[in-house]
Amino acid sequence: MNYNLNLSASATEKKKSTLAALKRLLNLIKEEKRTLILATIAILINASLSLLGPYLIGYTIDTYIQTKQFHGVIVFSGILLTMYIIAFITNYLQIQIMGGVGQRMLFSLRNVVFNKLQELPVDFFNQNKAGDLISRINNDTDKLNQFFSQALMQFINSVFTMVGAGVFLICINPELGTAALLPALIIWIFTKTISPWVKRKNAANLKSVGALSAEIQESLNNFKVIIAFNRRDYFRQRFNEANKANYSTSISAGLANNIFTAVYGLSANIGQLIVLALGIYLITTGKFSIGLLIGFLAYVNSFYHPLRHLAGLWASFQVAMAGWDRISQILSLNTNLIVVPNKCSEPTSSYLSFRNVSFTYPNGKEVLHRVSFDLERGKTYAFVGPTGGGKTTTASLIARLYDATKGSVLLDGQDIQSFTPEERTRKIGFILQEPFLFSGTVRENIMYGNAEYANLPEDKLTQLINESGLEILLSRFDAGLDTQVQTTGDGISLGQKQLIAFMRAVLRKPELLILDEASANIDTITEQLLDSILQKLPATTTRVIIAHRLNTIENADEIFFVNTGTIIRAGSLNDAVNLLLHGKRDS
Amino acid sequence: MYNSPSPKNSPRQNKPNVFNLLKPYSLMVSFLVLFSLLSNGVNLFIPKLISHGIDSFSSGEFEYKPLLIEFMVASLLIFILTYGQSIIQTYTSELVARDLRTRLANKISQQSYSYVIKTNPSKLLTNLTSDIDSIKMFVSQAVATIFSSLFMIIGTCVLLITINWKLAIPIIAVIPVVGVTFFIVLRRVRELFKRSREIVDWLNKVINESIMGSAIIRVINSHQAEYHKFLAANTDARNLGMAILRLFAALIPIVTFVSNIAMIVILMLGGHFVISGNMSLGDFAAFNSYLAMLVFPILMIGFMSNIIAQASASYTRINAVLEVAEPLETGTVKQPLSGNIELVNISLSYDDKPILKNISFTVKALSHAAIIGPTAAGKSQLLNLLTNLMKPDSGTILFDGHNIDSFDKESFHSQIGFVLQDSVIFNMSLRENIAFSDKVTDQSLEKAIATAELTDFIDSLPNKLDTIVSERGTSLSGGQKQRIMLARALAINPKILLLDDFTARVDRKTEKKILCNLENNYPHITLLAITQKVASIKHFEQIILMMEGEVIAAGTHKELLETSTEYVQIYNSQRSTSHYEL
Repeated sequence: MNYNLNLSASATEKKKSTLAALKRLLNLIKEEKRTLILATIAILINASLSLLGPYLIGYTIDTYIQTKQFHGVIVFSGILLTMYIIAFITNYLQIQIMGGVGQRMLFSLRNVVFNKLQELPVDFFNQNKAGDLISRINNDTDKLNQFFSQALMQFINSVFTMVGAGVFLICINPELGTAALLPALIIWIFTKTISPWVKRKNAANLKSVGALSAEIQESLNNFKVIIAFNRRDYFRQRFNEANKANYSTSISAGLANNIFTAVYGLSANIGQLIVLALGIYLITTGKFSIGLLIGFLAYVNSFYHPLRHLAGLWASFQVAMAGWDRISQILSLNTNLIVVPNKCSEPTSSYLSFRNVSFTYPNGKEVLHRVSFDLERGKTYAFVGPTGGGKTTTASLIARLYDATKGSVLLDGQDIQSFTPEERTRKIGFILQEPFLFSGTVRENIMYGNAEYANLPEDKLTQLINESGLEILLSRFDAGLDTQVQTTGDGISLGQKQLIAFMRAVLRKPELLILDEASANIDTITEQLLDSILQKLPATTTRVIIAHRLNTIENADEIFFVNTGTIIRAGSLNDAVNLLLHGKRDS
Repeated sequence: MYNSPSPKNSPRQNKPNVFNLLKPYSLMVSFLVLFSLLSNGVNLFIPKLISHGIDSFSSGEFEYKPLLIEFMVASLLIFILTYGQSIIQTYTSELVARDLRTRLANKISQQSYSYVIKTNPSKLLTNLTSDIDSIKMFVSQAVATIFSSLFMIIGTCVLLITINWKLAIPIIAVIPVVGVTFFIVLRRVRELFKRSREIVDWLNKVINESIMGSAIIRVINSHQAEYHKFLAANTDARNLGMAILRLFAALIPIVTFVSNIAMIVILMLGGHFVISGNMSLGDFAAFNSYLAMLVFPILMIGFMSNIIAQASASYTRINAVLEVAEPLETGTVKQPLSGNIELVNISLSYDDKPILKNISFTVKALSHAAIIGPTAAGKSQLLNLLTNLMKPDSGTILFDGHNIDSFDKESFHSQIGFVLQDSVIFNMSLRENIAFSDKVTDQSLEKAIATAELTDFIDSLPNKLDTIVSERGTSLSGGQKQRIMLARALAINPKILLLDDFTARVDRKTEKKILCNLENNYPHITLLAITQKVASIKHFEQIILMMEGEVIAAGTHKELLETSTEYVQIYNSQRSTSHYEL
């Protein structure tokens, strides 16, 4: 399945309308309906009060100051004060409420995206770059937040003021009003035509931001090699390329976004000119008065002023929609590892069986070709063979990190696809070739994802560790369970990481335990210890060991030789060694 | 010009001023301010044109043509000035961002490996992305607005005073009130913005780990645990966002309210003046309209203060990285290495826990030596010291009798091939991954690939050497990655080859072939290999046995079998299968 976000066809093939995209976005805040209504009321009150204020001041001047009645001035000042206090409250409320909506939306949007990432299979992460994904979760969601928390309320406010002023214009004089609004129509057409282009520019920009982030991420995580090979210049050069690409897309996006402000300003002025010229003409024909014209011009201003404001908001809307597109791209992906009802149940004594399994990676390389074998409960199996022969792939199919391209994998007589992830992961333990630690303590790492022991008191945990024979391994860490470990860096050796991964898997007491070169970087004496710990596992535990060291596999009940996509059963260790040393190979 | 940090900036470290950042761009910034002032100025001209038109119509001297022409010219001028301002604004902000990014990346690229690990790559990623973005926003939105707003405020204040200074006093009194409010809010919000950046670091780290560890998460179905970690960071981000919002939510309404109160004062006081005959009605009306002009720029500064606060928080973080001294490059020795390595009393601690204790040994030029020992004996750290990735706490490392620090870095690294324990693969072609140094010739590339037994594998790929490898090498097997790492080290034709457990994931037959190739193709190489397999190093001139950071024993295989019980123990643990060795 194609999971590459930057190549995915779905992004270009269906051109979704902005409205539909917006609708899906609003779906995220549907439980905020009441808050949004409240905010809208606050915005409307606030907008009305700010329209009313100048009018009342004008009225006071006309009726009281000109007639020298100071009493009236005081009365109206009192009214204005009350109004301004209300405006203060509604103003505060609207910012607070809408800002809160923005923050909560950002919060749930990030959660949704992160959750989606957790649902997607390993394949997705092999096809996408970490830095790009980080950029999508952090940067693109923030673009949406900026629009929602800051722009949306100004948007509503401006639209409200505009509509009010527009209605006034038409009411005062339909002819002049229509003429005054003509440039607005041109703006509308202009906006509609140009918006997709602006959005594309912003999408290109966000993409280059993701690429830049991916570049930094990769270089910084591999900094050791960059220094050891003295290629600091190379880091700079690759960074500069990404930086330059980002610079040019940012410039085009910036220029595109700013077009709105200039064009809106121009048409606002043209609107005024039309009113002035046409108004004067109407006056000469006797249909209009100077007084009305002055008032009319004021309303034209209050129509076009918010429109100018809208120009900036519209640009930030385009940025937000481009960000939303990148996020929905992730959200629209689905895992291809779905749980399906059991199809091929067969009564079998085997714990795990491969039936004519073929597997091809998305890049088109076939790694396994019509492979069949059976693993019995309680036995130890060794998988040997040259590198690139398909050992890790076989193990990944057993753990269902991928699904077989053809054929089926049976677990306990049932299609492995019919197990829920919980059931499957409880049965199958898999120590990966490249151990991974989360930053935290050794305790957190060996208890990681282990729901059963999650709330185990300290003494019980110690007891459990002693029972499994793991305490000797634990003594290899200075502070035992409380030793701090990091994902990156040299505080902890690869061998120690493998020890932690081993403890993590053993404590889960799986029915089938796969060790994929799990002790490759551990010294042979400690390895014997690991072996004795494996012996302590319940007698029904099936073990699958992938290794290159012969002493690691000499105790296996059966040995499989994996090479060029086939799996052959070797009769004895001698057989296996012969195959390894002299067999035809392709790696 | 951006390469020299402004001298004023460097001595004060606590509060770097984000405005200093603009100094190298003062020409562009002045144009930006000029354009924005001009377009504001011409904008003020439009009402004048209208009132002039109406006035001339009333007095019967009205003509369409001059009005139309003047109006159109003014409108077009505004259009040009506005868009011109946008263009300058876009270019300036992007230039500032690009240059700052380059400066930061250059700085990071000159730092030591331990600095990058200690600072945490996730934080540096935030520095280079989100932090720079908030500075970009500052340049593109705040700079022009602040200058033109200040200009407007000062201008209208002067106008107000000339009209009626008694009435102007209560208005001008508003400004310090607003100023103090800004000051208080900004001071409190600065700390919050700093923390919000740190939370972004945290979010980055959680996402990063969930991506790097995606396989183990799926193997043990621990999505829930990851989600909870993310939720914790995200919840903090939201709460902090809310806290910042609470501070700013009050700011704008307070400013609006205070200026509205000023309006009322004008109405009452001015009304009183007019009624008592101390002021004309026309002056009063003008006063009112100028006051409205005063409020808007104050509000704009209010909006911008948010952006400025964010940008200064980010700039403080970026500056912290920029101000760290680069490691001193004092090395000048460029002579070709013959391969003698000597370690004298080397000690190293990591977080106060000793990793290497007083290590001393020598490796003779062109000899083959191995280090063997249990997990966490400090073997890999030793190689980090030998490649100068880290510095020992005490002791000296000598190459051909010269201290490791006295070598010219470039010449030193170009003579040392280093194969790391964990595979580091870049998302680029196999050719670029192997010929990682720019000095690699096609010939030496060919030889390295053949020695690492990669020829068959590469030939089996449709695009051969030009095949692009995915990030973290996820499309390759463990053994393939290790052999690519080996080829990368050999491609520079090193004088000294340091191998860290490189055959751990390579099968027996391939390993034998590689070792054989190595001796045939690179006869003049000094080899120091960390390994777990006695069989592969039996014939080496020297085997060094390390345990818990100390050298326990050293000598040939034969000597160690006689003198070291620990070595015998290791040997015996592997012996059961040794009769299969050929």
